[in-house]
Amino acid sequence: MSEEVVLYRSFLKRLPLTLLVAMVVWLFLRPVLDTAISGFAQLLIRSFEYPRVTRLVVEDHRAEVRRTDFRTDSGIPSIPLTEKHFNTIVLLALYLALPKPFSRRQLERLFMGWCILYLTQSMNLFFHVKCLYALSLGEWSLQNYSDFSRDFYGFWRYFTDLPGRFSFPFLIWLGFNWDLVIQLLGPQTAEDDETSTTGKKKKSKN
Amino acid sequence: MDPRTLWRRPESRFLILFLGILGISFTVIALRPVNDAFVVPYTTLIAKVSGIVLGLLGEDITINGCVLRSPRFAVTIYNGCNGLITSLIFISGVLAFPARWSAKIIGVVGGLLAIQAINLVRIISLFYIGIFFPKLFNSSHIFIWQSVVILAGVALWITWAHLFAAPPKREAD
Repeated sequence: MSEEVVLYRSFLKRLPLTLLVAMVVWLFLRPVLDTAISGFAQLLIRSFEYPRVTRLVVEDHRAEVRRTDFRTDSGIPSIPLTEKHFNTIVLLALYLALPKPFSRRQLERLFMGWCILYLTQSMNLFFHVKCLYALSLGEWSLQNYSDFSRDFYGFWRYFTDLPGRFSFPFLIWLGFNWDLVIQLLGPQTAEDDETSTTGKKKKSKN
Repeated sequence: MDPRTLWRRPESRFLILFLGILGISFTVIALRPVNDAFVVPYTTLIAKVSGIVLGLLGEDITINGCVLRSPRFAVTIYNGCNGLITSLIFISGVLAFPARWSAKIIGVVGGLLAIQAINLVRIISLFYIGIFFPKLFNSSHIFIWQSVVILAGVALWITWAHLFAAPPKREAD
């Protein structure tokens, strides 16, 4: 059996196990991720508002959107945070399923990939809050946000929402581990990959 | 970086194509006429098929549009639950990956069927989780099943690329 077939089979066998491990790690880190994502999203929101009135308060895995200019008796909208960062499980499971996941190179790649995923999760929460402001607060939304803003925030919330949440972990994992994933796929694909990268076709070892 | 150099790198070409196809396909399905003419009937069809399977499993199911209702539990199949998103992501991955068109067609058709089968299992299992373990319904729905479906999509893509996207050895030689 060739090395590539062994790698491919071992990846598929390890994936269910790494999914369980990733879920345990995520459940353990969940409160930290809630705070980290809300914190960065709050920073982004406040960077674009004057006066700075928005505060995102984490309560029971939800981000409560509190504004200091809300009336005291007005309802406080909240956004579920689990949906924003559950895809950390997918990224972790995919990284752990690759060979030598705890080598220095793989840990560096995981760190870089996780940072990018964290950024996308925070952006998703940022656009969710901006959408709430632009679309869901009735007359206030109409007065403070233009049609263009509503379309802009609506599009980016939609794109970073389900499509982004589902595809970003895969894209980040693949982008950082292209060489390893190509090895899983087979010798011919790896050969083609080298050819297309360097423009020179290497001689087959067989 | 020079755009041509970027384009020549297979990983960046894949990412650009993938995001381009994904962006276009998700913009198209977000358009109201497409949503009304395709996404809503598609979701209703998924609800109907799920209802039929639950009926075969002995549940007294009433199907009303995208709502499945039994005396024991009721679920609504929303846009994000119909398997369309995973399917579009999978199709983007297949189309963006360098392979022959025949291999891409096999990937798209096979992947769509497999993802719909996984999604059907998901809906049925969530229905029973709702009946027997209602406290676990939200966590199962959001992070367990969604993670499983995404990883199943990745495993399918890897399998497709491994079996079909790589050209036969004699051709490579």
